[in-house]
Amino acid sequence: MVDVAMVGAGQTKFGNHPLGLKGMWAEAIEKAVNSVDNGFDSTDVEEAFIGSIAFGGSQLGNTAALLTEHSGMEGVSVRRVENACASSGFALRDAWMAIKSGQTDVVVAGGIEKMNDLSASRKRYWLGVSGDTEWERLAGLTFPGTYALTARRYFHEFDSTHDDLVHVSVKNHMHGFENEAAHLRKQVSFEKAQSGFMVADPLTLYDCCPTSDGASAIILVADHLAHKFTDSPIWVKGSGAGSDHLALHDRPSITQLRATQSAAAKAYRTAGISASDVDLAEVHDCFTIAEVLATEDLGFTGRGLGGAFAREGEGRRNEGSVTINASGGLKSKGHPLGATGTGQAVEIFKQLRHEVEPERQVRDAEIGLTHNVGGSGATCAVHVFGRQR
Amino acid sequence: MMSIAILSHGENHFACSKYGGEWAGPDGDRLTILVGLLKKVPAASLNLHTFEDFLDYTPSVSVQDIVESSTDWRVDEQASIHLHASKSNYILALTTSRDEPNWPLFDALPYDMGMKSQLDEQWKIEVEGVSQGAYVSQAQHTIATPSRLGLKAQVDHEQLVWPPRQLNASGKRIESANEQLSETATILTWTRLSAAGAPSEFSGRAPILDGVSTVLVQFPEGPKGVFMLADDEQNDPAIDASVGFDVRRLYGQDGMMHYGLKAILLQS
Repeated sequence: MVDVAMVGAGQTKFGNHPLGLKGMWAEAIEKAVNSVDNGFDSTDVEEAFIGSIAFGGSQLGNTAALLTEHSGMEGVSVRRVENACASSGFALRDAWMAIKSGQTDVVVAGGIEKMNDLSASRKRYWLGVSGDTEWERLAGLTFPGTYALTARRYFHEFDSTHDDLVHVSVKNHMHGFENEAAHLRKQVSFEKAQSGFMVADPLTLYDCCPTSDGASAIILVADHLAHKFTDSPIWVKGSGAGSDHLALHDRPSITQLRATQSAAAKAYRTAGISASDVDLAEVHDCFTIAEVLATEDLGFTGRGLGGAFAREGEGRRNEGSVTINASGGLKSKGHPLGATGTGQAVEIFKQLRHEVEPERQVRDAEIGLTHNVGGSGATCAVHVFGRQR
Repeated sequence: MMSIAILSHGENHFACSKYGGEWAGPDGDRLTILVGLLKKVPAASLNLHTFEDFLDYTPSVSVQDIVESSTDWRVDEQASIHLHASKSNYILALTTSRDEPNWPLFDALPYDMGMKSQLDEQWKIEVEGVSQGAYVSQAQHTIATPSRLGLKAQVDHEQLVWPPRQLNASGKRIESANEQLSETATILTWTRLSAAGAPSEFSGRAPILDGVSTVLVQFPEGPKGVFMLADDEQNDPAIDASVGFDVRRLYGQDGMMHYGLKAILLQS
């Protein structure tokens, strides 16, 4: 079967971006194209998959065609992919499958979201539309509320306290501080993160990721074309996806994400690796408790041990057993919803090619992983990347 | 768990909120008082008369559907038990006469008049506003009324299923909801959303109420559900604590008031 190589990757800075949707997308594509070592022409693209939840807070139609038309890909077969915050993780998976199937050779996967020129009420609406509206949202739940329910239950079931979440927050801000593309480039002390104002008890401001503008794009090609574009392709070695009940109350357990477990198992199997082979992982820490669950569900530590994993610094860059969120994660790098998944792939591309800022380079990394979750865990896409085919 | 006050004189029953006749509480009105009263009186048939004219806002489903979904009472325009509502106060009566009764005086708990005014205004803003995007089709909203207000569950392979669904995990159709879940449940986890974290439907009321609490509970029969907490001014929720349920206003949207069950902490 065809192997899939990533030969280019680029993103805007995440945060309060001065450009609109067309401008941000053009910037991400331009950076991705310019990152291809031996040159790349956008007109070579055969298919494009673009993740976005609400395209500037509105459900406009045909938005993928609009974006590609304005980025040198006129006439390309294109579609928008929507799976809440996992939209571009699934765009990446769709692109991977398109090449794997042999139907196409050169594909762009990306994502985009514009969130910071909206009113506060519209932003809250947007963040609430990816859960179970009828039985959760209209019973008073936001996404902070959903993850707060999970966090309190996690503390009840396992040997863990809110301080473990503080460790996640401090680590991710430390990692993101040196990332020029990050939204919140500031270090946070343990004491400050511990005493943030309450958003949804027990989660404070420092447990929640920001809402960001941003766009990201990667260029995938079939194996026979990889070395035409670069001598250092990053191979998409494995892909897995899963889903679960939309609402927490329908799940057997709310302290684990079955969608992640299922997606990870498939990704490891297709890549022919296990969790212990992963050197760095970009995981979906929309809330700090989500990173704790991810380290368990991805197999980096055992069930109920995610709190201790964070407490003992196992995810710190070049210190722990696996570097978790070298980019700063959603917590610091930012979370432009539909752009997050392929943004994670951009980070892995640069880390494995030693192209990030030197001070935040993960040493000797061979295998990287991305973990992109939709909503409170209803959908998840996991990808495994490697320097070797 | 008495959120309303009831006075009974023979076959005549009067009710108002625990705050007396002038305020029905943060999420109450004549309709929530009616449901509370009917749950305390042996079920029969009820003549609503012109009760809907006394409501502050149009309910999203009919009063008859709300009454019949949330209580054992049946609405019948020939019924000999008559519902009366005071024009000037939030007081209701069930009597055997068509004539308006003499309205009694109730003891009332003190309340913050400023908070009442702010909440009254906020409900008005909320009802008159358009949806912030929390889309549930009117058809689905109506179909699920017995489950939402009456905790009616489906049966699938001898297990109770709630909230209702069309097909089961194997893709086979499940019959409509007819089994009654228990009226108490146990808290599995809870949170209190601050004003900043409140979803848009509640963002106006949340700061007035100093936040909105939400609980995830499990019924003794197995199903779980999420509910807002009501009447929790004096008590904090806790994992493993018990709750009962009461029909209250949930949210206003697109000119209508939506009602549903809220959880009430039970004293241990």
